[in-house]
Formats: sequence, C-alpha cells, structure tokens
Amino acid sequence: MPLSERLIRMKEAVRRGDHHQYRQQHVPMLTAESDVLGLSWMQRQARLITAMCEAEQVVIQPDERIVFTRTLPTVPPVYQNEDWACLTAERTLHELGPISNICADWGFVLSQGLLGRRDAALATRQRCANQPETVEFIDSAIETIDAVLALAERYAKAARAMNQGDIADALTHVPAHPPQTFHEALQFLRLVHAVVWLGGHYHVGLGRFDQFMWPYLERDLAAGRLDNTSAEELLAEFFISLNKDSDLYPGVQQGDNGQTLTIGGVTPSGEPATNDLTLMVLRVARDVSMIDPKINLRITADTDLDLLCLATELTKKGLGFPQYSNDDVVIPGLVAHGYALEDARNYTVAACWEFIIPGKGLDVVNIGAVSFPYAADTAIRAGLRAGESFEEIMERVRHDVQAQVNRLVGTYSDLLLPPAPYYSVLMDGCLESGCDLSRGLTYNNFGIHGACSANGADALAAVQKLVFQDQAVSPQQLLAALETNFADNDTLRCLLHEDGPKVGNNDPQADVMLVTLFDMLAEACEQIEDNGRGGIVRPGTGSAMYYIWLARGHENMREPAVGATADGRKAGTPFSANLAPAPGVRVPGPISVFQTFSKLDYQRIVNGGPITIELSSSVFGEPESIRKVAMLVRTFAQLGCQQLQVNSLNAETLREAQFQPELHQDLIVRVWGWSGYFCELSPEYQEHVIQRDFYEMG
Amino acid sequence: MTPGIVFDIKEFAVHDGPGIRTTVFLKGCPLSCVWCHSPEGKDPAPQMMHTPRGDRIAGKAYTPEALAVYLNNQVSILNANEGGVTFSGGEPLMQAAFIHSTLDLLEPVHRLLDTSGFAERHVFGDLVRRFDMVYFDLKLMDPQAHRTHTGVSNAPILNNLQILSQSGVPFVIRVPLIPTITDTDENQRAIADHVYSLPGLLRVDLLPYNQLAGAKYPMLGMVYALHDLEKHPVNLRPDLFLSKGIQVLCH
Repeated sequence: MPLSERLIRMKEAVRRGDHHQYRQQHVPMLTAESDVLGLSWMQRQARLITAMCEAEQVVIQPDERIVFTRTLPTVPPVYQNEDWACLTAERTLHELGPISNICADWGFVLSQGLLGRRDAALATRQRCANQPETVEFIDSAIETIDAVLALAERYAKAARAMNQGDIADALTHVPAHPPQTFHEALQFLRLVHAVVWLGGHYHVGLGRFDQFMWPYLERDLAAGRLDNTSAEELLAEFFISLNKDSDLYPGVQQGDNGQTLTIGGVTPSGEPATNDLTLMVLRVARDVSMIDPKINLRITADTDLDLLCLATELTKKGLGFPQYSNDDVVIPGLVAHGYALEDARNYTVAACWEFIIPGKGLDVVNIGAVSFPYAADTAIRAGLRAGESFEEIMERVRHDVQAQVNRLVGTYSDLLLPPAPYYSVLMDGCLESGCDLSRGLTYNNFGIHGACSANGADALAAVQKLVFQDQAVSPQQLLAALETNFADNDTLRCLLHEDGPKVGNNDPQADVMLVTLFDMLAEACEQIEDNGRGGIVRPGTGSAMYYIWLARGHENMREPAVGATADGRKAGTPFSANLAPAPGVRVPGPISVFQTFSKLDYQRIVNGGPITIELSSSVFGEPESIRKVAMLVRTFAQLGCQQLQVNSLNAETLREAQFQPELHQDLIVRVWGWSGYFCELSPEYQEHVIQRDFYEMG
Repeated sequence: MTPGIVFDIKEFAVHDGPGIRTTVFLKGCPLSCVWCHSPEGKDPAPQMMHTPRGDRIAGKAYTPEALAVYLNNQVSILNANEGGVTFSGGEPLMQAAFIHSTLDLLEPVHRLLDTSGFAERHVFGDLVRRFDMVYFDLKLMDPQAHRTHTGVSNAPILNNLQILSQSGVPFVIRVPLIPTITDTDENQRAIADHVYSLPGLLRVDLLPYNQLAGAKYPMLGMVYALHDLEKHPVNLRPDLFLSKGIQVLCH
C-alpha cells in the first residue's frame, strides 16, 4: 500500500531534516552542580535523565499523532574530565562507556506503566530501607521515572493548548499507565525509548515488537477502533519517527545505530509466534523504506513460504533487511550455552546480529574481534621461515587465536559499566531486587567475533594445497612475494588466487580450514570459565568494521594491518565481511555458499554473524522471482545455517550515486550489520559495498 | 572420454527455467551472433580474460564425473524448490557427448536444455529426448538476414524445431530482441506465424537487448560491433504473439 499523503510529507520532512530547526544550541551542564552537591555516580546518572527531560523543548508538528522530537543534540558528561579519568583509571570501558546494545523488556514495562514500575520501586525501598546502596539506587530510579512522567505531562499540556486532543489524551494516560490502545502503546514506546538514548545509551533495540505490541493492536481491531489501514498508518508514523534522531546516534558510520526490532519465531512456551502484526511490520517497513527500524525475522526450516515472500518484497526494496535468524539452530545453541529454554526461545537480535534476551541479558556481545587473517598470516610466515610442516603452522594458528581471545577477555576482566538507573527501570527485576543493571542481570556473557574468516581460511588452504601438497610454490617464493606485496610476481598472485581452494565453493579443503578456525575460536572461548562477571564467552561469526580496519589498520586496533596474504590478496584490499566468500573470489552462487557455511558447528558458534549474499536487483524483476528468493531463504534454514542477510544491489546505480550523490540521497545499502544511506558513508565503505560480489542472474 | 569445457556455472539462475536452478554454461558456439553477450562462450577452447579484477582463464575442463558430483550435491535442494539443472552455453549441442555422459550420472532432477537449435538432426534429436524442457532460441526468420547476423543458415534450426515439436518435450521459444535487427514487426510476426501451431509450445519469451552486452569483448581482445545500439529503444510487440494465442513473457 502506498503511503498516505500525510506520511509522505512526514517522511520527506524527516529526510530533509526540517525538525533540526528545533535543536537547541546548548545542553544542560551537570558537573558543577553535581560536584557541589557531592552526588554519587548513580545519582549523577539519574540527574542526567532529569536534566535532559527538563531541558527538552516540546515539539508538536501539525501532521503528527505520535510525538516526541529530540531537541538536545548531545549528551553532557556527568563528571569533569579529571574526575572521570580518576574514576576509570586502570579500568576498561566498553566502547564509549555507557551501557549499550542490550534490550529492555518493553512488554513488561508497557504492561505495568511507569507508575507500576514506580510502585515496585517503592515496595523495595520500604523493604530495604536500612540498605543505603539500595535506597540510593531506588531513589535514583524513581527520579528518572518522575522525570519522564513530567516530560509527558508537558507534552500533554502543550497538545491540549494546541487543540490536539488525541495526543493530549494519550500522553495523559501513557507512559504513566499501561496503554489502552495501539496508538497509546506506540506513543508510550516512542517516548520511553527516546529517553534511553537521551541518557547516553546507544544501540537501543526495540526487541520482539510483534509480540509485545500485538495484544494492544488485537484489542483495537476486535473492538473496531482500528482497521488494517488505520493501524498501518499509525505503525508507519512510528517507524518514520524512529528516523528523526538517527544523525544524533553514535556509530562508526551514520546508520550504525542498532535500532533494530525482531519479529516472528516462537513464544517462550514454544508456540508459533507469528501474528498479523508480524506481517504488518514487513508491509509497513517496505512501504516506509527508511533505514530505521532495522528488521530481523526469526524463521525455521518450516516457515511458511508466503511469509518469506512478503519478507522478500522488503528485501527487494534494497534496504538490506530483513535479516533472518534460524530458530532451529539459535535456540538450541543458546541452551547449550546456559540459557534457560524459555529465555532462549524469547531471544531478540541486538544491534547487528547477536542473540540477546530482552530484560534479562546484560551480555556484552561484542568485546572485540579475533583477526583470523592475522592469525593465519603470522603463522604462515613464521612457519614457512622456520621450515615447519603444515600441521605445525596450524598449531601456531591455534596458539595465536587463543592468545587473541585471552587478550580480549583479559582486557575486559576489569570492565567498568556505569550505573544506569533509568535503563534498570525497563529491565526484569532490577527494581524488585534493588540492584542496578550494571551489577549484572540473568545473563552476563561476553561475545567475540571471528572476523574475516574466509580470507584466513583461504590463505591456509592455499598454503596447504600449493606449497605442501602440489609443491607448485616454494616457501621462499611465497615469503618473498608476500613481503613485496607480489610486486614482481603477479603470476604467483594469480596462481594463489585462481588455484587456491576458496571458501564459498563447497570446497572440502577450504571449508575444513574455515571450520577449523572457528573450532579454534570456540575452543579458546570455552576455556574461559568466568569472564569476570560470572559469565562465559560466546564465539561468533560477524566482522563489523574489521573487514576494513584489519586490512588497512585503524587507531582503535591493537593488531597492525595485515599485508599481502597467501590467498593472493594484495595489501590494503578489504577482507570478507561476516560469513561471505573473500572479495573478488568467484563462486557459483548462493547454494554453494550456504553449503560451505552450513558446515560450521552453530551449537558452539552462537554469537551470530550472518551469511551475507548480494543479489543483483535484476533478480527481482518478475513476480516469480520473489517466490524463488523466498525459497532460497528457506533453503538457508533447511541447510541448518544460523543467520542470513540478503542484499539487493545494482552496482551501476551505486557508481552513479558516487558521482551524483545529490540524485541518490535516498539510496540505502546494508553495510555490515546495519543499513545506511549510501551517500552518507565514507568512501572506503562505499567502495566495499560496490566491490562486494553479487550473484548476477540471467 | 574427453572432458567438457565449462565457462561458467551459476546457481540460483532465476531466468533459466522453473524454480531454483543451477545452470552449466558450456563453451563453444557455431553461431557468431553480433549481439552475443557471452563472447567467452564462442571459442571451444579455454582462453584468457583480462577482467578489471585481474586475469583469469575462461573455460575449465570437467569430467562428466566431476560435474555430476557437483550437481548431485545440490539435487535435493533443487528438487525441493521446484527447480533443476539447466545446460546452456555457448551452444551445449557442441558438447552433446559430454552432456550425455553427465546425464547418465545425474540423479533424478528436472533437466532443461537452453539451445540455439543449431546442430545435426540426429545429435539434436538424441539429446533433447533426455530433457524435461527445452528453451529454444529463434532469432531471425529471414534466411539471408539470419546468415548475415549469426553467420549460419537457419535451415537446420527450423528443421530441429520440427523435431523438437514432435519429440513431446515441452519447449519455450526465446527471441532476443535486437533493435533494428530482430525486433522488427516483420520478424516478430514471422516468428509468431511459424511457431503458434507447434505442439509442445509453452510460451514465447521476448528478451530485450542487454545494454551491457559489449562489456566482455575488450577483456577477450575482441571487438563489439553493436555499440551504436546501446541507447536504441527496443520494439517490443507481445501483441503480435498474443493475437496468435501464444502466451508471452517479456523479460
């Protein structure tokens, strides 16, 4: 269904940034006042929420039915620099510092209303009145609740004054109380979610949206308050509103904001969870066609082809989502890692790929990446120089992978997580137990990704075949060529590139190397019994920005850039992203790619990271093609793979967009675990998107 | 048994027949269509291609066993998704013996032959009978024009079309629409007249000229003659076929 005129106006206004006019020059300053009052860190975090909510200016635009427009462009620090340095000295902060990339239990919060949460807090305060630490946390949490309620009240009052009775009524009722309607539920979520971002948290996901929102929609549909069209109109407005603040979110590139939602799958008791809202989310995301929210669809080998066809229509839009996760392997994989079955069934997808449990997970899902190309390359060079056997080279790889894992986990053993009283309000049991979420939730695991695996495996397979088995290349030849970046020996580079076994071809030799690398990663992770927070370490298959950083070097990388590699790759060329053949490697197509990646042991490798395939946009030309792509997605699940990202790309259009960005402002591409506007990416990421192999049809 | 020379294998070839298919492109073609978009399919022997990503050899030798092992690895997936295997080219009939041997080793799966129809009649007849469906190219009905633009006579092609029609194997006629050459009203009408009454005809596919067709020629040291046509509009006349009661698909 095409968007209504009202929605088109709203979408265009958001893309133009009309609402930026409301953004304030100054944000509240907290540190001086907090220092004078001698506030604790916990109290400062609460004060931050209060100050931000108080400083927010009410913006209600004529077309809106769901309101809140962020006017504070940045989040102020809660400590002065020197105090912050003292506080964090000798400790490891995760990325930017604040708690990020977890998922609130939105369903629980909606069902209680913020006043319900406040009552729970008060009960704990009474019970634990003699425990100062608990009292401080509870008082801080209540302060944040009151701040959000006051902000809602200001919005309601302004709406009333503008004769926007609908908005005023909604905000009089929510988020204080549980929503009575779908409209109120969306308004509740918009405000309460936006305040999490205002508190400096980021990668704030929306969780299993079709599960916790469906009861509100279902009631409205049954009572005749809404029909499908009016419900879709509301949902579309909500989706557009999620794009208002994208440019204010922190990320490596714009669009990398982790504003994801997850639909489909099963209920905690194991019943099929797909409902009419699941379908509506797919339809509306397709019609809205913006970078947020990023959609994840949970499927199984038996998922209905009609649902996959609808999802493929969204893929056809070229947004790079939905991303698929296969419940058949994810759920048992989580259970094998200590997750309770009903929690595992309730997983949602984090900012990019990782599986987390709403309300219960304080997993730090990406503490860093193991560089497979680095492990392979250093082992190959050192091993060949020392005249070692291939088995000895593999032993070196094993040691290096283990060393990289241990170093990452070692660094994070003194992880410092700032208190987060407001986020705690939205989690399971924090107010009930009186413990801030930074002290831990049910699940406190770490995740480490094995990055750029295809290049690592290809390099090892090339050495095994061409140096050791065929003896077509001598160790000295290879070493010299690697050290000179193949300057004098492009023939050797071509030989390595063309005749070396390559991941993605269902080639036994290359695939054994791939499986071995991930087994080494899993083994290294499994040896860590406690990550320092009472959790384990989950190995994964994502690459994030590492496919560029590991190839070109980056200030945030401990490891130096890897030079030329034995798979025939020249220095500086980006590595493979997530699970995909290495850039420039020819493969017959997605079936072989799935067959290759189906060989990984997803009961051990459970941190997510998708198989990434690019389909030429010409594939989607005919109605029958939609069904064929849907069958391809089903095949991915039937082969027992874990996660899939399908992109629709037209390399020509991307090239044009590089030269004439002004004509392609709305062109969206999937980058690694997220989608962004192509013209807003920096050149090296643009180039990688263009170079990514895609399966051209016909 | 001499090995087959394959210049490409494409999985999930959505335009090469029903369902999810894997297409094997066999190298070598007796025709020299000036508009050909796979010039590396022309020469039967492997040859060097200078691509923007570096040099590579187009054309790889496969034994029937090796190709069958590769395909049999996918048969259950292809069967589960309404698809199968397509043999295309080049002109697959040039390697008919290799295809026979491969089919002997292939597990049960839907088989489609994508051909220009140019071959000796017994070679053609023996091979098509082993397929479940045929995609048959018809380019130009005028004998002289056919010779001019493809380098060969269309008489054997039209003869083989009769053999195909009598074989009982369902087939699709594929017409590449090349501006001013094959897309004339006259040619499209003549093709419609020729095929509408043939038993076994499923439909006609009209394939508008691929504007990127010339891209690979310089990589092979070849010259592309049709650059002038790159911006020329295609005369698409499905009505000429529909009026004869023929089902048409425009790509």
